[in-house]
Amino acid sequence: MGSVDKEVELKNRKGFWRESLNPWLVRAKNNPERVAYVLHRVTGFIIIAFLLAHILETDSLVWTQYYPINGLTAWSAWTYIMHVESAWYLKIGEFIVAGSVFFHALNGFRLLLTEFFGVGIGKPVEPKPPYEAPTLSAPQRTWLYIVFVLSIVLWAFSAYLIFG
Amino acid sequence: MAGKASNIQLWQYITAIMLIFLLGYHLVQRLPWLYNVSTYDQTLTSAIVYHQYRVGGWALLLLAYVALFHGLNGVRNMLFELHQGRIYNTVINVLFWIVFIVFSIIATVTVAKLPPI
Repeated sequence: MGSVDKEVELKNRKGFWRESLNPWLVRAKNNPERVAYVLHRVTGFIIIAFLLAHILETDSLVWTQYYPINGLTAWSAWTYIMHVESAWYLKIGEFIVAGSVFFHALNGFRLLLTEFFGVGIGKPVEPKPPYEAPTLSAPQRTWLYIVFVLSIVLWAFSAYLIFG
Repeated sequence: MAGKASNIQLWQYITAIMLIFLLGYHLVQRLPWLYNVSTYDQTLTSAIVYHQYRVGGWALLLLAYVALFHGLNGVRNMLFELHQGRIYNTVINVLFWIVFIVFSIIATVTVAKLPPI
């Protein structure tokens, strides 16, 4: 980037927080896609945080052989960790992760169909007043409602499994 | 990660498709009826988990690699939205690879060095 380009870029750069949060805070009326967009990101954060912890947790089978927990190693330590994690407050965390996984997976599948395979988004049309995007009345909107409903149903089922 | 953005996004979609199957398999492993036990907690007992590793350890390992790539690349994309310049982008890319490689190694060690019951 040349010095003039850099100057123009800096001049037009928005404030750090405004720029950073812009994709998250766009407000649009009657637009569940925005809700899904933010939820997809939030659930993604929850899942990646869990994934990193989950990898470390399952590796306890190995690392406890070098650093025992309460004198317990390998599968004894595993049983102990599972016992600790069966506490109700940790199960709530597990329940939140389960809900996140279901929503993220189902909405991700919808995004695959619409963004990657380009189906369910309608055909491009000439912009005319009142300038409503045809994608918002295309089948993907129905799929989105199905995603919301199915996520709640599966989340309820996971509650039955986790707390049952 | 110096590849073209469009190529990396393509991998984001490919890993998403793989995750549908791999994560589906992993979640099914928590269904108590499949193991003739009555609760979810009982599917996490050492005997059942050991059996699951012995039978499908490779799938769990593949799941770890794919999920790490997909998840960390998602975070990386969100961090890029902060637009802090080239050095910032390089740091994010380097961090992506460090976290990806370290956690992939940890996951590999778990499966490769699984202790017997």
